[in-house]
Amino acid sequence: MADPFHVPGADWRPVSPKLATARRIVLAIWCAALVVPPLVSSLVFDLPRMRWVALIPLVLLGWGWWLIGRQVRAWAYAERSEDLVIRSGRIWRTMVVVPYGRLQYVDVDEGPIARMFGLASVQLHTASAGTDAAIPGLEAAEAARLRDRLTERGQAQLAGL
Amino acid sequence: MNEPGGAWHRVHPLSPLIRSWQAIALVIFFIGRDAGESLLTGDRDDGPWLRLPGRDVGVGVWLTGGGLVVVALVVVVALMVLSWRMTRYRITADSLELRSGVVWRQHRRAQLDRLQAVDVVQPLLARIFGLARLTVEVAGAGTSAIQLSYLTESRARSLRNQLLASSAGLTYTEEEAPEAPEHHWLEVPVPRLMGSIALSGATAGFLVSAVVLVILSLVLGTAAPAAGIVPWALGSVGALWGRFSRGFGFRVATSPDGLRLRHGLVEARAQTVPPGRVQAVQLTQPLLWRRTDWWQVQVNVAGYGAGGGGDASSGNSPNTLLPVGTRDEAIGVLSFVIPQLGTGPEENPRLVIEAALDGTGGGSGFVTSPAAARRLDPLSWRRNGFRVTDTALLIRRGRLRRTVIVVPHARTQSLGIVQGPWDRRLGLASFALHSTPGPITPMVAHLADGDAARLLAEQSERAQRARAAAGPERWMQIARRADAPSQLPPPLPPVDAS
Repeated sequence: MADPFHVPGADWRPVSPKLATARRIVLAIWCAALVVPPLVSSLVFDLPRMRWVALIPLVLLGWGWWLIGRQVRAWAYAERSEDLVIRSGRIWRTMVVVPYGRLQYVDVDEGPIARMFGLASVQLHTASAGTDAAIPGLEAAEAARLRDRLTERGQAQLAGL
Repeated sequence: MNEPGGAWHRVHPLSPLIRSWQAIALVIFFIGRDAGESLLTGDRDDGPWLRLPGRDVGVGVWLTGGGLVVVALVVVVALMVLSWRMTRYRITADSLELRSGVVWRQHRRAQLDRLQAVDVVQPLLARIFGLARLTVEVAGAGTSAIQLSYLTESRARSLRNQLLASSAGLTYTEEEAPEAPEHHWLEVPVPRLMGSIALSGATAGFLVSAVVLVILSLVLGTAAPAAGIVPWALGSVGALWGRFSRGFGFRVATSPDGLRLRHGLVEARAQTVPPGRVQAVQLTQPLLWRRTDWWQVQVNVAGYGAGGGGDASSGNSPNTLLPVGTRDEAIGVLSFVIPQLGTGPEENPRLVIEAALDGTGGGSGFVTSPAAARRLDPLSWRRNGFRVTDTALLIRRGRLRRTVIVVPHARTQSLGIVQGPWDRRLGLASFALHSTPGPITPMVAHLADGDAARLLAEQSERAQRARAAAGPERWMQIARRADAPSQLPPPLPPVDAS
């Protein structure tokens, strides 16, 4: 079987592993918020079974913890001479090829938790709404470099619609 | 007004009135109803809306009430005049500018070489007054169109010609831009339009459920289920009427400015889609149209977006090039929008299109899903497939509802591959081509993963080459530079009976 995600001439760069830590913190906050209500109600109203309900978010936390690690390792991008290739996902694997000449604009976003880790995400926009090309978890310096590089190449190769 | 680039013009003075006709009609209706009622009953004093409980209303209240009405009227009229005065437009050598707004002012400027389509729209009331709205679509997200509402019909038409001429890079010596010669091509007969609506999925679904509900109420011995049909029937009739009204008198003409579409019973619309603005074409044949061999043709055009509120799948949106047509008509429209199909020198392009329309399997250079896809796609795995030509990608899919999508290589935005867990187990992958927003999403599901990978790699190279070779946005310059006649391309040769 051929690997459809093999791209000739691609020099894959991974996203920062710190992204996994950042995402796990967000996940842990959510799970903590879900654990508290059943736990408190079991203590206050003396419902011992509610403690088992409190286990559900913990199981989710463990599963999500593992999943995030896999997802972040699967995320990679490659700058080729004419286009940028992004691949992501482990279970649902996707790959997007965005020609520089088709770039309309590039977004760089920094969330509060990502910023604590010095991370930023880069989103590419073409004239198509179907282009779902995002690279989360880049080091801020790398994100800025990529943004400038993309706009520079986009300028040089810009074509009409 | 001493700015360079032409004078500012105003829209027609009646415009605010027509734009807010619904509100005005409502007010007139209520006042008229009250006046009529009091006339009929001989009840000459206050109307019901002025009567306070248990108290006689004096002349003073009448005067204040009447005064308020007059003041309100004056304010409304003043606002309308003001909004009319503040709405101005002008055309410069390479742009169209519109200034509007009283409190929040807007100044919008559109580059004419980015123009995607020009529509002249006439809602019923505007038609009565001989007015029309000019909608200029430029590629952009959301409501990027410039709307000049309203102009006199002749002004709208001459303005459209001027816009198309400057957008095409055409130079002319006359005072007004010449209207491009039009070649009337085909008209959708009303009986066929009605037939296509009667044979639509919406009608069939409604009839089937109506029968089920009637049987149910007979079995249960109560009228309740049958009564449920009534509101639904009203809704269905409304939707079907909308389709009929939009598709009524659908005429297609060709001109050097591109395709000209005219249609509409209540609201008349004349669309111009310049060449090279079509991002993707789709031919569809619902199951019920197969006996009559009718086809519908839709396009993605950057400015039209997902269809301007209309239901894209039912042929109500401006993205429809042909609501219902015979096979030859549909292929003809396709061949105008995509003049060179780019098939091999030995090949008959008509045969390739025929294979795309109702073929299955690997004939005519089509690559289809492998047998492994049978488990995911038991009905249409033999039909799902693609064919690459020198200029375009042809996508074929659907066993019951047949669909063919054609995307020129030069119009590819980006590409993608998706592989779910089942796909991976069976060695499959789906290929997607991202086009501008519209009713068409070009995608080939469940290809062999090797085919999908090869298609992705080759398609990104082809798209890049086509982009580099693409002509300028001003289409008349292409024609002049290449000395190509800007006429209708020769129709595709008919297929042999053998």
